[in-house]
Amino acid sequence: MSESVIKLQGVWKIFGDRADEAMAAVQQRGLTKPEVLNEFGCVVGIADCTFSVERGEIFCVMGLSGSGKSTMVRHLNRLIEPTAGSIEVLGKDMLALGGEELREMRAMHIGMVFQHMALLPHRTVRDNVGFPLQVRGEPKSKRWEVSQQCLNLVNLEGYEDRFPRELSGGMQQRVGLARALASNPEVLLMDEPFSALDPLIRRQLQDQFMALSAELQKTTVFITHDLDEAIRIGNRIAIMKDGMIVQIGTPEDIVTNPADEYVKDFVEGISKLKLVFAHSIMEKISDYKPARGENLTKSPRTPHDTDLDHLIDIATTTTQPIVIQDSAGKDVGVINKSTLLKGIQGGKA
Amino acid sequence: MTDTGLELGPKSLDSSVGEFVKENSDYYSTEFAKIQGKTGFAWSWNTMAAIFGPLWGALRGLWGFFWTFLVLELFALVQIGRGLWGDLGASQMARWERLEGLVAKRQQQAKELLQQGDNEGANAALNVAGNLRKAADNARDAAEAASSEAVTILVVGLVLLVIVKVIEGFYANVNYEKQYLRWRAAPEVQTGLSWPSAAFGSFLLLGIWPLTLYRFTVSKPDALVTEFPIKKQFFTPTANWLEGGFDWLAVEFGNVFKGVTAAIRAVLDGLEVILVATPWPVVMLVIVVTAWRLAGPRVAVFSAAALAYLAMFGLWEVSMITVALLGAAAFLCLLFGIPLGIWFGKKPRAYTIALPVLDFMQTMPAFVYLIPIIAFFGTGKPPGVLATIIFAMPPVIRLTALGMRQVPEGTKEAAVAFGCTRWQLLTNVEIPLAMPSIMTGINQTILMCLSMVVIASLIGAGGLGANILEALQYAAKGQGMLAGLAILFCAMVIDRIIQGMYRRKTGQA
Ligand SMILES: Nc1ncnc2c1ncn2[C@@H]1O[C@H](COP(=O)(O)OP(=O)(O)OP(=O)(O)O)[C@@H](O)[C@H]1O
Ligand SMILES: [Mg+2]
Repeated sequence: MSESVIKLQGVWKIFGDRADEAMAAVQQRGLTKPEVLNEFGCVVGIADCTFSVERGEIFCVMGLSGSGKSTMVRHLNRLIEPTAGSIEVLGKDMLALGGEELREMRAMHIGMVFQHMALLPHRTVRDNVGFPLQVRGEPKSKRWEVSQQCLNLVNLEGYEDRFPRELSGGMQQRVGLARALASNPEVLLMDEPFSALDPLIRRQLQDQFMALSAELQKTTVFITHDLDEAIRIGNRIAIMKDGMIVQIGTPEDIVTNPADEYVKDFVEGISKLKLVFAHSIMEKISDYKPARGENLTKSPRTPHDTDLDHLIDIATTTTQPIVIQDSAGKDVGVINKSTLLKGIQGGKA
Repeated sequence: MTDTGLELGPKSLDSSVGEFVKENSDYYSTEFAKIQGKTGFAWSWNTMAAIFGPLWGALRGLWGFFWTFLVLELFALVQIGRGLWGDLGASQMARWERLEGLVAKRQQQAKELLQQGDNEGANAALNVAGNLRKAADNARDAAEAASSEAVTILVVGLVLLVIVKVIEGFYANVNYEKQYLRWRAAPEVQTGLSWPSAAFGSFLLLGIWPLTLYRFTVSKPDALVTEFPIKKQFFTPTANWLEGGFDWLAVEFGNVFKGVTAAIRAVLDGLEVILVATPWPVVMLVIVVTAWRLAGPRVAVFSAAALAYLAMFGLWEVSMITVALLGAAAFLCLLFGIPLGIWFGKKPRAYTIALPVLDFMQTMPAFVYLIPIIAFFGTGKPPGVLATIIFAMPPVIRLTALGMRQVPEGTKEAAVAFGCTRWQLLTNVEIPLAMPSIMTGINQTILMCLSMVVIASLIGAGGLGANILEALQYAAKGQGMLAGLAILFCAMVIDRIIQGMYRRKTGQA
């Protein structure tokens, strides 16, 4: 686990006609993203990205929309040419490869899964999965054999002869994954593969993917804008903002030790205690039977959209149950210690 | 300024109206508030607009207002002018004078005949003279009536002018408020008063009104006003010069034109051998079976009936000649059109250059480019095919390019990410995904080829078009009808078969 499969060193990408000028200016004067946009009309896609990914690792890249995640991952198989910096994959300098070598690298060693599946609508599932092999010039028998194996891996046996449009979104994404696995690449690039799916299917596919990845020992760069997902499946996480990587670390590092306010915002957002509110766990005030010694008139009162974190703060200062008021200020519900504890445990009473 | 869009308090509205109108902002603020407070038409009066009409519009940058009322006021002014100084009975008066002259002539004739002793002749002449006199009297009455109408026309003109002014007065603020809303969305709209605009408006007014008034109110306007002063001085030499140019090109590039002709003829001959020389039962059978396989039994039955029609009326051979012409044109259209379309689809810059040419090919009436075709290629079938190609090629190029551009970027990117070469990308991804659009283009091109067949027969391309042309020349309705139906059936069979093919293709993939 110590050999680096992917190495990026100071990679920049600036979009626009005057990218080179802008690059020079950035290196001399250290302009920020808005300044570059102002002065040169160029968009900074990624700025000074440096990191490496070890063999067998799942490396998550996390960031808001527009932070440059897709741009970054497309550099790894050179779908996008960097403006500056060096990129090394599997010991090869990607930027030095000629057309033929680059195609071979893509066809043999780097698989990719896309956010919007990008399957070929006029081909069956089998032919979609076999496409990378066809590109390599493998005969039909080999293609069919391999695509069958890959479809089995993602639990899609029986759908070989269907067309993509006959499949649900989750199934299509599994076809995309099978296609990426078909050429048996050492490196997998996954650009928000599960973002377009509903939470249940997403969780299912995450589990499936983690099991597969443990079994097949691929090196994976996994893009997501969802910190929960990154924490679930990443060995390490890189957090991007405005094209820059602001922190790289294990999930624990990130959550317990956020590098700056931006990361802290993310990490805060992830706490369950901030996601569940009083009105979803309270008992109706009309149904509530005060226990002995309880007097609701003495209870502290708080609005219905108080979160669990806050409720705990309130509960520690009183022995009375907490009365919940609606937005008009009317008493509508009650939370006592046991409902609160249950709420923290399961998010629901 | 609280410009949230949610809370448009009267204050912020006022200040932005002021910014827009610049002059008279208090007046317009109240009027706009009134208009915006109403759901229906708001009665808001603008005296300046009523007085100055189009010029007010020009000053405020309301060009729609300017042109509308320029025309309406002009119409009213023409009526007034006609009433005031127009020579209304002039034409009737002239007729009366002419008739009087004729009457005098006839009477003179009668007198002479009487002197010669030809009583009958004299009577006849007198009769004619009497009739002419009646007509002359009628004409005089009409002339008098017309000139007495002058007052009525004058009054109508005045009333019209007043009505137009009233409409201007009531419409001005409503129109100006709309302009204000446009300005809020697009700041480049003119604000306030613009004296250059007003000057331009006055210039237009002075150019348009006096001449038009003169033309419509004076009975015999000067020829300078009614006719362009230049006749054929430039036309004839230019036409001659062009003629020389055509001749020179025809001689200089004779070999190129001959080569093109030969190539087209080769394709055409091949198709004619297949369609005309092959025994008719074989051709029929092949067509019907093709229709069945590609488009199903109903189209097959229809095709059989259509072919039977052609055969029964002795139009078989000439129809097959037509189909061969069409086939050659369509084949060449697709042979060049699809690759061109693919290229244009991938190279947007080349496409922007080609677009005007395609537009030109499609909008230019076929009769016009028949002339250079005859000049360079002579008459006969190959030039006919060429004319058809020019007319019918644009749709397949356009729709192929469209299809290529509609292939999702993401799908192409995925293919490249798996190591596709450009050729693999083209054949495995781009063309299959563009196929529905390409098929539509092919279908349109073929049908346009067919519609061109009649026109191509003008330069001797033969086939059913020639039959129709002949029928047109001799007004042979029956023959024309039969040949026309034959063309219709050919078109329908081809169209149905292609549609069936298309449906099979897109239905499967
Ligand atoms: N081809 C391009 N031309 C110009 N600018 C681009 C191009 N591609 C991306 N950008 C810019 O680069 C920045 C990063 O875009 P990118 O697609 O990498 O974001 P992302 O993090 O993947 O966002 P999302 O989560 O929405 O996919 C954005 O500001 C975007 O506008
Ligand atoms: Mg993205």
